[in-house]
Amino acid sequence: MRIGGDVMAEHRPPKIIVTKIGFDGHDRGSRVVAAYLRDAGMEVVYTPPWQEIAAVVKLATEEDADVIGVSSLATDHLLVPKLMAALRVAALDDVQVIVGGIVPPKDQRMLIAAGVARVFHPGASLEAIADTVRALAATRRTQLEGSI
Amino acid sequence: MNKPIVKPMARTEFEQGERRWQAAFDASPGARSDAANRSGIEVKPLYTPQDWSGERYLEALGFPGEYPNTRGIYPSMHRGRSWTQRQLIGLGVPEDYNARLKELLAHGATAVSLIPCNSVFRGYDADEVPEELLGTCGTVVNTVDDMERALADIPLEKISCALNDPSPFTLLALVLAVARRRGIAWTKITGTSNQSDCISHYVANHMFFRLALQGARRVLTDHIAFCNAQVPGWNPLSVVGQHMQQAGATPAESMAFTLASAIQYAEDCQARGMDPDHFLPRVTFFFDISVSFFEEIAKFRAARRLWARIARERFGAKDPKAWRFKFHAQSSGVDLTRQQPLNNIARVAVQAMAGIFGGLQSLHTDSYDEVVSVPTAEAARVAVATQNILREEAHLTDVIDPLGGSYYVETLTDQMQEKIESIIARIDAAGGMYKAVEQGLVQRMIGDSAFAAQQRIERGEQTVVGVNAYQTDEDPDAYAVLEYPQRERIAAQVTRLRAYKAQRSNAAAAKALDALARAAQGTENVMARVVEAAEAGATHGEICACLRRELGFGQPLAVV
Amino acid sequence: MNAPRTLAERIRGGDRRALARAITAVENESAEAASIRAALAAYIGHARVVGVTGPPGAGKSTLVNALVKELVARERRVAVIAVDPSSPITGGAVLGDRVRMGEMQGHDAVFIRSLASRGHLGGLSRTAAQVIDVLDAAGFDDVIVETVGAGQSEVEIAKVAPTRLVVCPPGLGDDVQAIKAGILEIADVFVVNKGDLPDAARTESELHAMLALRRDADHPPVLKTVATTGEGVAALADWLAARVQPGPRAASVAGANSGDAAALLERLIARDAYARHLGLEMVAAGEGTATVRMRVRPEHINFWNTCHGGAIFSLADTALGLACNSYGTVAALIDSHMTFSVAVKAGELLTARAEEVSRTRKLGVYRMEVRREDGVLVASLTGTVYRTGKPLPGEA
Repeated sequence: MRIGGDVMAEHRPPKIIVTKIGFDGHDRGSRVVAAYLRDAGMEVVYTPPWQEIAAVVKLATEEDADVIGVSSLATDHLLVPKLMAALRVAALDDVQVIVGGIVPPKDQRMLIAAGVARVFHPGASLEAIADTVRALAATRRTQLEGSI
Repeated sequence: MNKPIVKPMARTEFEQGERRWQAAFDASPGARSDAANRSGIEVKPLYTPQDWSGERYLEALGFPGEYPNTRGIYPSMHRGRSWTQRQLIGLGVPEDYNARLKELLAHGATAVSLIPCNSVFRGYDADEVPEELLGTCGTVVNTVDDMERALADIPLEKISCALNDPSPFTLLALVLAVARRRGIAWTKITGTSNQSDCISHYVANHMFFRLALQGARRVLTDHIAFCNAQVPGWNPLSVVGQHMQQAGATPAESMAFTLASAIQYAEDCQARGMDPDHFLPRVTFFFDISVSFFEEIAKFRAARRLWARIARERFGAKDPKAWRFKFHAQSSGVDLTRQQPLNNIARVAVQAMAGIFGGLQSLHTDSYDEVVSVPTAEAARVAVATQNILREEAHLTDVIDPLGGSYYVETLTDQMQEKIESIIARIDAAGGMYKAVEQGLVQRMIGDSAFAAQQRIERGEQTVVGVNAYQTDEDPDAYAVLEYPQRERIAAQVTRLRAYKAQRSNAAAAKALDALARAAQGTENVMARVVEAAEAGATHGEICACLRRELGFGQPLAVV
Repeated sequence: MNAPRTLAERIRGGDRRALARAITAVENESAEAASIRAALAAYIGHARVVGVTGPPGAGKSTLVNALVKELVARERRVAVIAVDPSSPITGGAVLGDRVRMGEMQGHDAVFIRSLASRGHLGGLSRTAAQVIDVLDAAGFDDVIVETVGAGQSEVEIAKVAPTRLVVCPPGLGDDVQAIKAGILEIADVFVVNKGDLPDAARTESELHAMLALRRDADHPPVLKTVATTGEGVAALADWLAARVQPGPRAASVAGANSGDAAALLERLIARDAYARHLGLEMVAAGEGTATVRMRVRPEHINFWNTCHGGAIFSLADTALGLACNSYGTVAALIDSHMTFSVAVKAGELLTARAEEVSRTRKLGVYRMEVRREDGVLVASLTGTVYRTGKPLPGEA
């Protein structure tokens, strides 16, 4: 039996949390995305809506997630900067955050400035989302390689 | 393409004509004979009396206002009285809402509809939540004073009120408290507890889901009993198909799930000893209208027929009023696009027409910019004007059920009915809607349909103009986006709430909340106590918190 | 200025991110996995490991939440591993068990990690046992492993959990058969959840009836719970507390035969008079690996008042002997090299961990590291063994 080595490396799927913070309760978008990412070979932690920011941070910590996907309708995206701040406080700066949903252009600029990697709008292709998640996960793992 | 197997010589002129047409059709360039609608029903290029003939008129259709109501629940339908133009509005603080409401009433809207802030939907007072989320999608109403301001100068005894107000129906309690203050008898209050259907919120659009499912079930039955007795002009039960369709259910699925839910609620009322002839007339429905024009019309006509039969045969109702399938419908926001938003005006017009031909009782038309942000005033005006144009320029109200007798529409109505019935049978087999949703069966079906639809769009099999066809390069910033409510106004609202809590009798409010808790623990009517609590000065958040403690916090099932 | 903390210190000190990252390395058998496992080896053996399995729809996650709540109320620190199946076709997975758990997810005393099965059959993932080790070493009092089990093949939980809880939904009716034979046999306790439903009493009696047909005298109890209200959960926690954990935790190496290897090595060390004489204790064992501990006693001390090198060599050699004989055939040390790094005082607790470097039909190479309680490397041994291929005496 060999020990160590990267025997499993290529079998290690990206790990993403698909969640909703704030009040909105529409989960069609997040469910369709979660199902697609699973079918694209990823490991998806799918949460119910109304997650507290502290809960999402704990989840990302324990699961060692590569990416957090926040699904937002209404104005819940206005809470995302708070999530970014909480991630920094928890030393989870390496975790990438993407946002999907209805986000007005002005708010999109604000989110990117706050550190969100990408914002997806209604009509975005699932394949594009999957590609983005894969790329972000790969970047994070390279960044963290060898460190605990 | 279905070529008939070699038949003997065509006997009749009809068959000859049909064959001639089929041959010419097949030879036509680009002629496709395979198409299916969203519910999966195959749609042929041509329908003839072979598909449906007028001989079936009396058995299948009947006359408007008569069992089985296929052509309409009233004898005169829109020719007698137009559908109610019930535009949903809700924004910011109560004064803003009041101003927008008066504007809409002046422009032809004929009823009140209140969408509360998301914080209210979630069961919280304004001082319990992050301020940036307040007042952005609806009106912040937490107290009797707030409701008083929201409905200032509105004659409650004359205007019908639709409140988006899920269990435990605090907004209705506040309205009744205001009515009491104004000296208006509750028997004069009319309207609907829009979206009082707890099952659909458990399954989809969870924002409305506040109490644990079985707790919400009990409160709903109490609410129906309370209203039937004390506010007889009020429709306490509004069963919702909209959320499930927006979550991805096909039109047939969403209608089936809705009817199955209505069956559960009616069974609960019957078990409580209520008389179907008494409570069924006060049941209303609320549906999405997709842009699949004919399918929606058939969906509504089939539902009317089905519901009449369910009411009469499954519940033994004898009063014709109890067989009526009354519904409000809203143009589907899911079909609207962010790309080329002005196209949405055309989509909404088509959806509205489908609803009108489908025989709705009240209609909300979406604003074209709904997908970009909360609608602007100008876009909201276009939405109302759309209805006015359909009624007064296109004269869609002149004829009752104008598509009745159409070979296609009647065939499709029958086919939709069959599909709906088979899904209801599946739910029955699972033990009814409550069991089916607790097991996740319904959620999985909806999820599968949603996924399939998304795949069709991504593969280009289903066209969405501006998204996967006819795209243009456009600047998304080009369309005006509603500014969020001013932070100062929201901050002032929160301050006002704190002041309210300080100056009311905390003892009276606490006592009423105690009584409410005890009612929840026992068998007293919870709704009666909710209203008493509102009148004693308890706030919306306090009432919700109390019932969540007693009956459980509502968590939907996470199913992928 | 404090010296930087070691990984073991960070993890045992409550650094949850370090813990999660260590789990990731071990889960994925990355380059760091071996050294992480070595660093934590000394701390394994204290946690109570409980397996929770049963058919879908039994309300396992809700029950685990209620049980965790009860354990936390009893001031225990609890870790939960939730194993979800990966799609055999796409390789992806929805890790949904933990989110169904409810409010205990947010508690500070609770750590939850999802693992996808990644094609591994048997109900766990390939490296689940090692992940359990990491959580054990991190200092959790309880490690609960939740996995779906309904078929005969999802019994791997038995290899990693000395205590197995099988959760049954009521209304199984004659589908008490639905819980297939394998699962029934591994259960140490049956829990009929949703005990307030009318069918619960019937399921309870059907289980009793089915158990009465079994030949073994030891009938596992059937408990009833209503996870949503907490009813019956205290009784379940009491039953767990009263239960004696059998032996040191086995199987810290993934591999289908780990359970068998561990059992074999327990028998071997029990017969080793010299090991007994020195006071050696085996704390982990599996195919090609073993971990052995020794407290340095007065009789091990040399004339420099430090631990005799021979004692340390014996400790490492015993680990080596167990590891290379774990395949059931005789393997004997023919050449070795020992390096001593640090002097060891009386009273210290030394842990030797043997890992297999390579193995052919005739030869095997093993590397042993002996560490102090604080993780410092005290000595290393590398040894070559000759594998005779003959069955072990006394084990034929």
